Amino acid sequence: METTEKVDAPLSLPGLEQPNGALTIRGPRAEFKSKAEIEKARRLRQAQKAYGRGRGVDVKSVRDKKLRRNLTTIENKYKAAALKAKEAEILLENTGGFLEPETELERTYKVRQDDIEEGVAIETVQKRFELKLESLGPYTCDYSRTGRDLLLAGRKGHVATMDWREGKLGCELQLGETIREARWLHNNQYFAVAQKKYVYIYDANGVELHCLRKHVEVSHMEFLPYHFLLATLGINGQLKYQDTSTGQLVAELPTKLGTPVSLTQNRYNAILHVGHQNGTVSLWSPNSSEPLVKLLAHRGPVRSLAVDREGRYMVSAGQDNKMAIWDIRMFKEVNSYFTRAPASSVAISDTGLTAVGWNTQTTIWKGLFDKEKPVQEKVESPYMVWGGEGKRIERVQWCPFEDVIGLGHTEGFSSIIVPGAGEANYDVLEVNPLETKKQRQEGEVKALLNKLQPEMIALDPNFVGKLDLRSDEQKRAEKDLDAPAADIAEEIRNRARGKNGVLKKYLRKAKKKNIIDEKRLKVEEMLKSQEEKRDEKLKQKQAELGPTLSRFARKA
Amino acid sequence: MPGRQAHGRSLLPASGAKKERKPSSRSRANKALDAFALAEKEVPTRRAKGVRMRDLDEEPAERTQKRQHDDDDEDDEDEEDVEEGPRKKKARKDDEDEFDGFFGGPDEEDWHVGVGSGDEDSEIDSDEAFGESDEEKFEGYGFRSGKLKKSKADEEDDDEDLESLGSDAIDLATALDQWSEGDDDMEEEDASGSEEEEEEASSDDSSDSDDDEEDPAKVKSLQKIISGFAGDSDEEEEDSGPKQKAKVSLEDLGLAGVKDRHIKKSLKLMNKEEKATKSGSSKKLAVPLARRHQDKLDRAAAYEKTTETLDRWIDTVKQNRRADHLMFPLAQNAHDAGLDNGELLPVTAKTAGTELEKTILAIMEESGLGPSAKARQIREENAAAEGQEGPTMAEQIEAARLRRKERELHSREAARAKRIKKIKSKAYRRIHRKEALREEQANHEALAAAGELDSDEEREAQDRRRALERVGTRHRESKWAKLGKKAGRAVWDDDFRAGLNEMAQRKDELKRRIEGRTQSSGDEDEDMSDDSGDSDGDDGDRRRLLGQLDSAAAYDEDEPQSGLMAMKFMRRGEALRKKENDELVDQIRRELDSDAESEEPEESDLGRRQFGMGQAAPKVNPFLPKSAKGQDGRTSISAVKSDGEPKTLPLPQREPSPAAPGAAGAWSRAGQDGRKSKKAPKGRVDELDLSNAAMLATKKPSKPANSKTAVNSSTDVDVQDESDDEDAIHLPMAIRDQELIKRAFAGEDVVGEFEKEKAEIEQEDDEKEIDNTLPGWGGWVGEGVSSRELKRHKGRFVNKVDGVKQKDRKDFKLKGVIISEKTIKKNNKYLAPQLPHPFESHQQYERSLRLPIGPEWGTKETFQTATKPRVIVKQGIIAPMSKPMV
Repeated sequence: METTEKVDAPLSLPGLEQPNGALTIRGPRAEFKSKAEIEKARRLRQAQKAYGRGRGVDVKSVRDKKLRRNLTTIENKYKAAALKAKEAEILLENTGGFLEPETELERTYKVRQDDIEEGVAIETVQKRFELKLESLGPYTCDYSRTGRDLLLAGRKGHVATMDWREGKLGCELQLGETIREARWLHNNQYFAVAQKKYVYIYDANGVELHCLRKHVEVSHMEFLPYHFLLATLGINGQLKYQDTSTGQLVAELPTKLGTPVSLTQNRYNAILHVGHQNGTVSLWSPNSSEPLVKLLAHRGPVRSLAVDREGRYMVSAGQDNKMAIWDIRMFKEVNSYFTRAPASSVAISDTGLTAVGWNTQTTIWKGLFDKEKPVQEKVESPYMVWGGEGKRIERVQWCPFEDVIGLGHTEGFSSIIVPGAGEANYDVLEVNPLETKKQRQEGEVKALLNKLQPEMIALDPNFVGKLDLRSDEQKRAEKDLDAPAADIAEEIRNRARGKNGVLKKYLRKAKKKNIIDEKRLKVEEMLKSQEEKRDEKLKQKQAELGPTLSRFARKA
Repeated sequence: MPGRQAHGRSLLPASGAKKERKPSSRSRANKALDAFALAEKEVPTRRAKGVRMRDLDEEPAERTQKRQHDDDDEDDEDEEDVEEGPRKKKARKDDEDEFDGFFGGPDEEDWHVGVGSGDEDSEIDSDEAFGESDEEKFEGYGFRSGKLKKSKADEEDDDEDLESLGSDAIDLATALDQWSEGDDDMEEEDASGSEEEEEEASSDDSSDSDDDEEDPAKVKSLQKIISGFAGDSDEEEEDSGPKQKAKVSLEDLGLAGVKDRHIKKSLKLMNKEEKATKSGSSKKLAVPLARRHQDKLDRAAAYEKTTETLDRWIDTVKQNRRADHLMFPLAQNAHDAGLDNGELLPVTAKTAGTELEKTILAIMEESGLGPSAKARQIREENAAAEGQEGPTMAEQIEAARLRRKERELHSREAARAKRIKKIKSKAYRRIHRKEALREEQANHEALAAAGELDSDEEREAQDRRRALERVGTRHRESKWAKLGKKAGRAVWDDDFRAGLNEMAQRKDELKRRIEGRTQSSGDEDEDMSDDSGDSDGDDGDRRRLLGQLDSAAAYDEDEPQSGLMAMKFMRRGEALRKKENDELVDQIRRELDSDAESEEPEESDLGRRQFGMGQAAPKVNPFLPKSAKGQDGRTSISAVKSDGEPKTLPLPQREPSPAAPGAAGAWSRAGQDGRKSKKAPKGRVDELDLSNAAMLATKKPSKPANSKTAVNSSTDVDVQDESDDEDAIHLPMAIRDQELIKRAFAGEDVVGEFEKEKAEIEQEDDEKEIDNTLPGWGGWVGEGVSSRELKRHKGRFVNKVDGVKQKDRKDFKLKGVIISEKTIKKNNKYLAPQLPHPFESHQQYERSLRLPIGPEWGTKETFQTATKPRVIVKQGIIAPMSKPMV
């Protein structure tokens, strides 16, 4: 009897421990798989997660046999590509690393620059430097895309470019005008400076190349490298896109929200984020006269904005002493923090470190957002801190591919070391920080060949090539009403003015082009029929007038 | 199935010609047949039929089966011979009959597509095709098989075969089979029948007897009759009745010299048919098919065969069509096709395939590096080795194993012994040093007491000693240090850095000495792994040593026992070693204890005396674990911090910025002005509007208080968690700031404005109904028109404008977000207007474009496979596929 009772006993909830110490397992593995198979499946899963191209289509439901086969091969190819990419990770030989506390009580933010200097190689130590430019500040700074060149612009007209690692000065200008912003263009050969009234473009030697008179009183600038677009934001709230390869003004959009306070670009989709006085952030593309998205981030002016490299998160800092982290794919606020003073500048590094410049200090945060985590956690203390020496921070800017951050302040410029800030394994096909002159030139040509059109900018950059899902009616309704008339005869007739025959004129012009198309054929036909009619009329007249007087008949 | 018929005997009456042709086989057959005859007497055959008859009666199913086999491969027939035990001989018979009899021989087994040669299948088909109706139609005709187009030689061969084969030969074989299985050697002879045997057999067989009996009188009469018809068509000849035809031959008919091909052929046919049929059945020859029919059948058969052959290629062709890449010349035709090249083998004279390999091999041989040279070398070595009688492989392995075992055995106890020794050596040295010191001191004191030691020289000596101690040490004020500092050598010069380090250490040590603590690690061999590297004095040392001893004593207890270790002698040995170790440990312990006891009273090594507040530090228990001590100290400090001072932050305190709120207010007002909003500007709310604030602040529920906040709040620096309510206690400033900020931004109801704007946009985008009704259009207006009439006309022309319902908006659930629902026309340029042909849904189409081809988006391998041309032709002879690949 006892045994039966014991048999009855284990009918308990799965996952609970049995009296004999055994664990009931929910969903046991029914089929046997070899270790190699499990390993293979695991690798595939990892590869799909890291390099996969989204969810595949259900191949089995495809009715057409050939299509089914083709789709299956495509899916297999994608899988193989993901696996290959995962395997190629072995080639990423450099590893990034951060400062790590050894004990619980140690804090990374207590580590000073001098301490770091002691612990790192001389080469790295040299990356920390200070430029004392006390009279012409505060300075803004910008690193070129390769991270090699530095552009410094003091508010009082001082502009300098330099190869900061070698300490070589590229050019130095005193413009004698207020400078609000300076940006590199696609490489280190050109830079744009927003001066008192207009925006000017200079070359590497400091020669003024262009004056963009359409960009008036610009306070913020961004350059979109893949589209070759220079976006400027004026004090009057006009957002303008200028194509720097063709020189055309692509779009002029009034933001209609007063003087804008901040501007940044989303490097993932080339959308511009503009921060306004009333705490809203609006997202712009050159293709729409309205903001694509408008979100309320702060209660006061949005002082600074930054978007991470992958275009997933945005950090905004406002006058209301708040720093908010946004998920800009869902448009949801993830977290918000308090700053001690309104932040003047925010920047996000390649590895996701966020630098916040406020007052005289710079605070660097780690792990404000992590794409791997389902729920973002609130960070208790910063990663590193710098400053407090009376230099009011104007601009923080991460140097690409380096563990270095550049700080433009009232007394010049400081470059400090932040371990783990730079991308350790960069893609030289994308941007090559070690490029030679020749490579730079070739890269410029390639970039121009691969230039994206401004019309390709959208919130989802993958929209290109997708199917237009609007209904036919919708399409018809949205068709441009000013489109040219379809009927050529009508068009020609409408154009009929002046003494000369319209058709003849048209044909004369068409012959120059030497293109025979439907329109031209139709026009020829029309002309012929007209002439026939005329001849007929003439004959009639001649008949009326009789054989002797027929010569006086007029061609109508 | 009335197909071919035969009368079971050759048409040729006398077999003189045969005898001439095949004397040997005949003689051999004779014996066999004799045996057979005897056998038949004993065991009466159940039936004695020709092959053909048998086929006709019983075997069709079997035959068809067999035919299927044949279709696949001709060789199957041979295999069948081997496989089928009991049926073996019969099958053989059939084979021979079919192949030897009908075709030239086994070499003719190959079929030829398109050529109407004597195809086995075609013959079979014609057999089948010659159905019931046909038989009626062509009653009088012999059956013409598919060997029409055979060469002359073949025909002759056939003749020979026919003639050599007795009509009953096959039956005999069968009978033999049934009678005695083991008679293998007879088989051959059985195959060729003979006349005598035939006669004997016929005597038993009643049905055969009519045919077989050769009545000369009858023959004569027949000959007469036939000679009358000589040269006439064969029909009449065949029609002449079943009874007589068996004995007629060309010679009989006097037509030996007939040259007419047709006649000859038909005759031959007759022969065959007669042979095949049962003697009792009708002697009529089947009528040959009309040529047209025959050709048609042939074509059908040929077509079938051809399709079958071609079908074999279908899979290959399909595969090649679907293949992403094709490489020519085909791998199939490569000289190393089918070889596994996964492993590299040394090139030898045999394996050297290519010319290059051969050349290289030749060169190697010439220079004495080739395989042959190596072999020679090995041989020589072997010879030498044999002379020396070196260790064999097995011995080596054995030795290695032993060594490994020994190592394993040794390792554990040896390691332990090593460790204990290390501890011991340290302890010893220290203790001995102490003893020496003590002795010296005692001497010194004794001398001092005696009054001998007082002199200047003694003092000088001491000074000298001290000076000597400091010689070579570096000082902060030294030239070296100053120069180094100036040049910033610490950054790049390792030597300099080391020097600095040393200096610092020295300084520390001296300081400690001044404070009265003895230097802990004077010995050079201070173990780096020693975690308590800095000194805690002698007691610390002793404690550490004891701890180490403890661990050393304890560490072998928890070790798992390997199989080898479980053996008795091993355990004994280990126990011995362990005992030794334990003893050693005990000894050291004892020594240490005695040392401690002896040292207890004179524990004071005071050093320089300090006055004033020097004694403030409380004396901590030296035997307390060090980490605990450190933690204590630290916690106490922090406690002091949090209690005593109002706030000490590692970073400079932010300056109170009264300008910030004011400025913000100014900005926000300016912003509003700049916007020229239609709404009347609100008056600034001076006091904190709580409802407003509640709406504004995205406040989160406060966390439950946790114990660690006390530490956290003191360490947390500049930016405070909004939701941390506990911080309010420690950071009144921050809270005040927040309050200030709230107050500062209270005037701007940004949230309210935003919500309003959103509502407006929602309404604008929503679907709308526009009433386009014109008053007076289709009805009367003005005075006197009833309201009912007006109402009726009201909604007559309503335009419905499609829009986005509030529910369907992307920002429906998002607070503080407006997402534009308008389609961006400029983007439409890059959309596909319609679904391309083969795709069934847009998901499929979009999926097919998902992976870009460019080198930036995948690995190099992926890129290269994606851009590889479909057909790659390499240099070389491109031979066609020799066989289907699949």
